[in-house]
This record gives sequence, structure tokens and C-alpha cells, in this order.
Amino acid sequence: MGRAMGTRILTVEDDERIRTAVKMALEDEGWVVEEADTGEDALQAFTRNPADVVLIDIMLPGIDGFEVCRSIRRASDVPIVMVTARADTHDVVAGLEAGADDYLTKPFAPKELSARIRALLRRARTADPTVTHLRFGDLEIIPDEGVVLRDGKEVHLTKTEFRLLVELASSPGRVFSREVLLERVWGYGYFGDGRLVDVHVRRLRMKVEADPANPRHVVTVRGLGYKLQQ
Amino acid sequence: MPEPSSPNPSAPEGRPVETRPVETRPVETRPVETRPVETRPVDTRPVETQPVETRPVDARSVDGRTAETRTGGSNAGGDTPDARPVRTRTHRRVRARFIAPVRRSIGLRTRLTLTYGLGAALLAAVMSITTFGLTRENLMTQREESAEARAIANAARIASQLPNGAGPAAIEKVLSGLPTPEGAQPVLHYQGQWYATNTIDFGERAIPDSLKATVDGGQPALMRASYLDAPYLVTGVPIPSLAAEYYEGVPLSDLQRTLDGLAISLLGASALTTVAGGLVGFWASRRVFAPLLDVGRAADAIAGGRLDTRLPVGGDPDLDLIAQPFNEMAQALEDRIERDARFASEVSHELRSPLMTLAATVEVLENSADEMPDRARTALVLLSADVDRLQQLVEDLLEISRFDVGAIKLHLEDVLVAEMVIQAVSVLGGGGVPVRYDPDVGDVVVRVDKRRFGRVIANLLDNAERYAGGATALTLELVDDKVQIAVEDRGNGVPEDERDIIFDRFSRGSEGGNRAADSGVGLGLALVDEHVRLHGGRVWVEDRRDGESGARFVVELPVVEPAKEESSAARSDEGGAS
Repeated sequence: MGRAMGTRILTVEDDERIRTAVKMALEDEGWVVEEADTGEDALQAFTRNPADVVLIDIMLPGIDGFEVCRSIRRASDVPIVMVTARADTHDVVAGLEAGADDYLTKPFAPKELSARIRALLRRARTADPTVTHLRFGDLEIIPDEGVVLRDGKEVHLTKTEFRLLVELASSPGRVFSREVLLERVWGYGYFGDGRLVDVHVRRLRMKVEADPANPRHVVTVRGLGYKLQQ
Repeated sequence: MPEPSSPNPSAPEGRPVETRPVETRPVETRPVETRPVETRPVDTRPVETQPVETRPVDARSVDGRTAETRTGGSNAGGDTPDARPVRTRTHRRVRARFIAPVRRSIGLRTRLTLTYGLGAALLAAVMSITTFGLTRENLMTQREESAEARAIANAARIASQLPNGAGPAAIEKVLSGLPTPEGAQPVLHYQGQWYATNTIDFGERAIPDSLKATVDGGQPALMRASYLDAPYLVTGVPIPSLAAEYYEGVPLSDLQRTLDGLAISLLGASALTTVAGGLVGFWASRRVFAPLLDVGRAADAIAGGRLDTRLPVGGDPDLDLIAQPFNEMAQALEDRIERDARFASEVSHELRSPLMTLAATVEVLENSADEMPDRARTALVLLSADVDRLQQLVEDLLEISRFDVGAIKLHLEDVLVAEMVIQAVSVLGGGGVPVRYDPDVGDVVVRVDKRRFGRVIANLLDNAERYAGGATALTLELVDDKVQIAVEDRGNGVPEDERDIIFDRFSRGSEGGNRAADSGVGLGLALVDEHVRLHGGRVWVEDRRDGESGARFVVELPVVEPAKEESSAARSDEGGAS
């Protein structure tokens, strides 16, 4: 992928040593790193100068990582990576539902973090570059412009949600397994966390479905995965 | 399963209760402090230390344990993913203290039932015999008194009615004229001749000689005798005026019948009483035993990992004598285990922050390794390797402490087992380990937490890498309704007596110990064990089947019904959505 020069990353972490070490490792990737040691600081920094990716530790003094995540998400579709203590707690799902795009558990290798960030920064595109306009009933997708319309009105999706939708739209009616979606949208392999897909599908439905409880477009195929239909 | 334990001849068996109050130091009997998660059933240990134990109850429980270890893993975590694992494997560190000598005898409940039954029988017997005796005595006395009175009256009547020197005809006439109720038979001995009304039923021969002698001597007497197999009461009265003796035989067969009837009734009543006593005993023993069974169940539950199990207190002051110490013991055990687990968990958590910094800075250093002098670069390689190792260790410790506090939440998914294994191997870079399976395993589905199961495969391959020069093959096969995933290597194999302990924490077996310089941390197989157990499966090690040198680690998992086929599932979903 190469180094995206000028990409700005906001790191929210209260442990100064970790913050500094992670900053150095990310700077080695060619990114510009901004630091914040509290949730309040992070929100101020983001408002002042929005970053391209935000890295948030859930355990923060003052307002916690979930709240920071929600606040940023209200204002922006910036990719957010949560850092959690454990992968099997409710933290992960709560973080994803607060709007995070991906998560990492401590301690993680900075290389892993870089890979996550790169995957999030990748541009959304369909498998077939000639497809420029897709229509599913009341839903319109214009991949080139990164725009989704429902009943003619624009729907605001995060980058990850948009890529998930475009991925499903690339083969309408085809069932995508969680593994395939994890690989194509997040860059994870077979052992990726299927909850990423589940929570994002849930978030996507809230935005593109008329009735999220009875989805008509993004449909679950039990035991197999998801598909997009008219 | 090998039995690594050796009987401990100095096991302090037979201590009286008073010398060791159990409730004050429950942990003394088990080394919980070193192995906090081991919620092994207490009763497996006494059996190990006491191979002479031949009580059927205990023998059964041993069988039960063994069966559970082999097959019952599925209920350890199959249905309830967050259930804690039941630790059933036998262990070598065996130390148990008995607070009372073992009594070889029949079961307590049987004893109680028998005691009640015997007590009832004894009581019934005494009552019956007394009743029978008194009744018999009473009836007899009555009969004797009336017979005596009548005989004397009849004798007087003969004396008055019979003229001296009367002939046989007159005598017969007088005799048959006598009032003889109750079928009494009159017999007269007069002038050396015997006269009777009915010599067939009762005559001279029916009268015992001793009675004749007594009455001859001028004494009226009364005797029980039997004639022609029928009991009679014979009364003899001398008639001095005629120099004759009058005898009267009263048949006692009706009395005998009455008494026989009474005896039978009493016998029946006694039998009923005995049975009733036994039943009461049985019922009482069940009542008495029910709380003890509760204690057993609670102990079992605790052994099975549900450490918060308690007995109800406050219902019965007598039972509280058991329940209270039991609960205190359970509480102490739970506290202790939780404390240990929390400690391990906190230590690991605390280690994560510095590790995070270490991992990041090492990477920063590695990014500029090219600009370093050789010595610094060599040092960096060492540092990097050990940071990795430390990271792995902390991760393993965290995972295992999660097992210990029961905080594991499995994220279960139905996956094709063959695909998962192939993916696990390929994620690890594979190392060219071939994965072999029969076609029928191709569509076998298992319900696993993929991330954790990936670690299981990774740890097994890693183990083969460290101690046996790498895995040679990974095979999958269907055995009954379970799928066995086997990792084979070409090492020296695992000696029989180490096959259990290599799954213990920080135990590397003799083979592992020889490679002190290696980077294994000794938690890999313990984690494999815990993970597999949590998935309702089991893991063991055996020799390679082809007879070559090497170990074969087998993970066995229950197979689940495959997911619904695509079309029907899709259709039902669409139906629900539109």
C-alpha cells in the first residue's frame, strides 16, 4: 500500500510511556501523530483539527473511551480504532456500537496497529470499476462519489459501513460469509472477529433500512452470512 | 488413563474429628494455593491414596469419575459456553487426610432400615407372645374351672343317682343322663369296670395313667391329654361313696383352634409391624439422609467448579451443624481460589502496560536496526525475541486466569472443522505440515470459538516445534459422533507416566526440561487442555499409530448438526423480512 504521507492520527492514551512509544512506531510508518491523554483533550484536539484516524484506549480517566468514540462519531465518519483490555468482554461490542470501526487488545504489536490503520484508510471500491451506480429499491449507491441515498436523501455512512455496503452490493443476492466480509472490508483472515461484521451490519441497517428490525436490503442468512437484496 | 499417583503409605488415616477441625483450615487438605483452578472432586483423591478401599459405593464413584473424564466432557462446557471446566484428570500430587477411620459395612441407610425393621419385629414378637400367653392362660383357666366344677357336680349326681351295686345298664343310663355341654365325655370306673357313653371317641384308654393313680388315691385331679390326636382336658373325681372314680374328658380342639387362629393373627400382625417398621426406617433414613445427599451434591457442584454453591442454613438447628461448617469451608475455598485467580489476573494486567511500551519501542528500534552496530543489533534481536516471549506468556497467563475466575465467554460459531484446521495451519505459516482427512470429514461441523480454537492448533503445532522438531502431519477423522484432530511429530514421544502431567501448567515433562534454553513457557498445553475442555471436548497424547517414534496429540470435539442448507435458510429469512 505504501506510506500515506501526511495522514494524521490522533492517539488517545493516558499512559505516557505507551503513548510515546506508539507515537514513535506510527511515525516510523510515515504518519503524523497527535497525542491526547484524556477524553476531553482528545475531543478538543479533534474539533480543532480532525485527524484521519483516531486510536482510543477505552480505559481513560474522566470521560471514557466509549463516550469519546460516540462524541467523535456524532461529528465525523473518521475511522476509529478502539484499544480494549480483553477481546471476549462486552467492551468490544460496546466499543463497536459506540461507533468504532475496529479494535485491538492490549498489548498489541505496533505492526498490527499499522496494518489495521492501513486497512481502514483504504478507499472503498467495488470489484468491478465500471459499476458506478447501483439501485436496490429505495436504496441508491454511488460508489465513485461515496454516496448512499435512501428515498433520494443522502444517508451518512462511516467509511467502514460504506465499504461493507459496497462489498455486499458488488454481487447482489450473493451470500457473503463473515469471513469473506472480514477479509475484504477489514483485511482480517479466517480467525477475525465475526462480531465486527455483526455490529457493523446492525449499524448499517439503522441507516439504510426503513425498518431496521425487519431488514429488507441487508438480510441475514442464518448460519451462512449476509446478503444484499432488492 | 495412566495412574501416576502412588499410594501414600503414611497418609494420616483414622484421625479423630476433634484433632482437625475441618472448617477452620479447609485448604490444608488440598494444595489449592498452587493450582487454583483445580476443582477436583475430593473423593477421587481418597481413592487414589487408598487403593485398598473396596466399598462398593466408592468403587462406583471411581468408575463414574473415570467415565466422566473419558466421555462426559461434553457437559462440562458444551451447552453452556461460560461454564467452568470440570477438572477430572487424575493427579499425581496426592495428599488427603481422613478424619475418621473407614468402616467396612453395609450402607447407613440399609442399616437404619434394618434397625427399624428388627426393632419393630422384636417389639411385635414380645407383644404377640405376651398376648398369646395371657389369652391362652385365661381361656385354659376358664375351661379348667368350668370342667372341674362340672365334673364334681356330675360325680355328685352319679353318687346320688346310682344305687349301690347297679348293673351296667343302669350305669350307662345314668352316664348318658349327665349334662355334658361342650362335648364332654363322661367315663366311670366302678367296681373294676370302665363305663363310657362313647368309647370310640373317649374311653378308659384316653385317661392317662398318672391321672388314674392320683384319682385312685382319692384326689380329684385335672390333666391335659391327647387322645386320637385330639387334645382333651380330663378331670377325675373320686366318688368315695361308691368306691368309684368319675372322669370327664372335655375336647380342647375348639380352644386349640381359637388359639391357632389367634397365633396366626398375631404372627400376621407381627409381620406387618416388622414391614411397617422397616418402611418407617427406610422413610426415616431417607429423611435423615436427604440433607447428607444435599451435602454430597453441593460438594460435587463445588468440585465441578461452581464455587458459589452453598447449603441452606437456618432451617434445622441439627443440620446447621453440618451446613454451617460446610458453607464456611466452601466460602474459604472460594475466597482462596478467587484471591489467587485475581492475583494472577491483576499481575498480568499490570504487566500489559509496560509490555505495550516494550513492544512498541522494540519495533521502533528494529525500524532503525540497519543503522546500528553489529553488537547492538544482536542485542536487539535477543531483546525482541524475549519481548515476544514475554508477551506470549502474559497473554497465556491472562487467558488462564480468565479460566480460573470463570470469566471466559466463548464466541461460538458453527464452522467446518477441516476448513478451520487448514486455516489455522496456514495462518501459522504452515511450515509444510500436511493436513489429511477423509472425505467424510469434509463437511463435519463443530461449534467452536474460532479464535480460541486457532490457538489450540497453534499451541499443539508450537509444542511439536519446540520439543519434537516440528509436526509431521495433522489428521482429522470421524470416530463415532466425534471428530478427532491429531497432531503427530517425530520426537521421542511422551512417556506413559507423563501423559497427564504435560497438560499441567508450567510442566514440560522430561523432554521439555532438557531444553532449558528453549523459549517455551509451559502454558501452551495447559491452555489447550482448558480450551478443549471448555468446548466440550478432550485432549490426550498417545504414541504414533504407525509404530514410529513420536507423539500423537489428539483433540476430540463433539460434532454438531450442520447448519441448514442455504436455500431453505435463505427462504425462511426472506419470508420473515418481507
